[in-house]
Amino acid sequence: MSEAVIRMENIIKRYYIGKPNELEILHGISLCVQKGEFMSIVGESGSGKSTLMNIIGVLDRQTEGEYYLEGQDVNGMTDEVRSAVRNRRIGFVFQNFNLLPRANAIKNVMVPLMYGREKVRDQKERAMEMLKMVGMEERAGHRPNELSGGQKQRVAIARAMINDPAIILADEPTGALDSRTGHLVMDLFHKLHEEQGKTIVLITHSQELASETQRIVTLLDGDIVADKGGARE
Amino acid sequence: MILENIKEAFASILSNKMRSLLTMLGIIIGVSSVIIITTIGGSIQSTLTATLNSMGGNMISVYVQARYPETEEDWATWTYPDMREEDYVSQEMIDGLIAAYPDEITGIAAQNYLGSGQVKDEADADIYANVSINGITPEYLSYMKLKIRRGRNLTAEDNAGRKRVCVIADTMVKNYFGDSNPIGEQISVATETGVFDFVVVGVYEYNQALFGRVDVTVAEKDRSTEMMIPLQTCFKLQGKDQSGYEYFNLMVAPLADVEKATADVITYFEEVYSRNDKFNIYAYNMASDMGMINTVINVITIAVSGIAAISLIVGGVGVMNIMLVSITERTREIGVRMALGAKRGTIRMQFVIEAIVLCLIGGMIGVTIGIAVGALLGQIAGFVIQNMYADYSSYIIMDVHPSGQAIILSMFFSMLTGIFFGYYPANKAAKMEVIDALRYE
Repeated sequence: MSEAVIRMENIIKRYYIGKPNELEILHGISLCVQKGEFMSIVGESGSGKSTLMNIIGVLDRQTEGEYYLEGQDVNGMTDEVRSAVRNRRIGFVFQNFNLLPRANAIKNVMVPLMYGREKVRDQKERAMEMLKMVGMEERAGHRPNELSGGQKQRVAIARAMINDPAIILADEPTGALDSRTGHLVMDLFHKLHEEQGKTIVLITHSQELASETQRIVTLLDGDIVADKGGARE
Repeated sequence: MILENIKEAFASILSNKMRSLLTMLGIIIGVSSVIIITTIGGSIQSTLTATLNSMGGNMISVYVQARYPETEEDWATWTYPDMREEDYVSQEMIDGLIAAYPDEITGIAAQNYLGSGQVKDEADADIYANVSINGITPEYLSYMKLKIRRGRNLTAEDNAGRKRVCVIADTMVKNYFGDSNPIGEQISVATETGVFDFVVVGVYEYNQALFGRVDVTVAEKDRSTEMMIPLQTCFKLQGKDQSGYEYFNLMVAPLADVEKATADVITYFEEVYSRNDKFNIYAYNMASDMGMINTVINVITIAVSGIAAISLIVGGVGVMNIMLVSITERTREIGVRMALGAKRGTIRMQFVIEAIVLCLIGGMIGVTIGIAVGALLGQIAGFVIQNMYADYSSYIIMDVHPSGQAIILSMFFSMLTGIFFGYYPANKAAKMEVIDALRYE
């Protein structure tokens, strides 16, 4: 058995704690993701998959339970350390790209380096390498509003990859794209997975997209109701 | 990182040019008014100083006075002693003083009134001119800001040789000589003490303002003008055997400190007169009166600047307001930055720097406007003075310059405004929860 990148035990997330309208979104999720896995988390809206993604991405804290990222207890970390973990170990790909509007493609790719602890040398070269990997090197000087949706998402993937993260966390990455460009983006994930052995967690509501991945975890009303191999396994 | 933040700030400010400009308006108005006010205050001060200096502020009055007895008994029998030749201040002493303090003392302007009289043409009784005769040192004319129009000034040789030469006013020339050239002409002046002959060597430009009020009851033709003769000639005509000075003014170099120069003059003469048991030298200046004026102007400038600086606070509130708007607008961006690893402190710094940059740009624009308006006001004031007080214009020395201190200080306070009013919005941005910010629509 290979090293677990994500190990969650009995994760519970509640909102409005102690108030009459207290709400429990996750009822005790236990999940293990191995290094090099390409898995998807599927569920209807309201199933809790976004909440789970926020906890996996160290954006939010669980109310109860344990979460170890690469063997480290994330919940016990200070805000500062959590920022550093997001910066170094997690590559985010969002549905709506979330590129900085005033920065061009290469600057956008370099943003995580700017927030990194140590000074990374040859930042530009490194960012250019990432853009080349996603086939966007010719658009390095373009701003987001000069790029198509598919191009934006490829820049976002380059940005997610620049610090060589432990996991890529993709939240509906094709949600804002037409099916053809959506496929191109999915192909890119497959490439990263196969060629670089990246661990990728894809959050989606689409069964079709999920079926491309090795493993599908299905969430319903805050519980894992299915956990099975995907079509490619 | 800070450099990145500054670049970011510029990009953000430039992406909203109109809004940024309006935001900066308060700062611009505040800073420019401070600069304008300090420019006006400083300029009034230096113009006043320079003008008073030109009117005698940069002059040290020196006179010889008897040493008074020190005890009560001596007072009873004491009488003011007669001055002997060696008690007067000699030209050698003056030369020695100028040699000792060449950067402070530039010359001696001594003057002695001989009397008033009339210059008459023997052939035609209608041609005459009233004059008052003054014995002067050569430096006196330049000290009085009088310009030679024709011929030459009196010289040290005229003085030493006790020559019968004179320099007369151009208005007198017009009255007496008409269009003919007066240089080299001999004129006779009838005074109460006698008739004296002088050869005209020069003509100076008469300036009524320098000699006091015009007596309008006297016809222009009858008005008396000053006629200058060598001081030693004057002493001789008065029957005095003195060649030294009893009372005179020393001219101080324009940039020299008058107080220090006065102290130096006193030190010098105390040494020279240390062996004279009857007489001593006294010296004083008018500059000390100006200390008071300067203090008053300073207080006014600071007080009014303080009031103007209040608009900086108003400007700061404007900056805070727009930063809050900007942060709300950019909530998503803040969320993204945090997701990508920006720490709270980093976000806070980014927005504080943006506020500082905004305020500093406003400050720079304000300084530029302030300098420009200050210079313009100086030009206008100069123009008004030239036209309204033409007689005095040669006395008034305009000195308009922006205060460097005020510029540095207002830039510093602009920055402080940025930090102070930028901190609250920046902190609000830094305190956002990353998931809320990311999901913000």
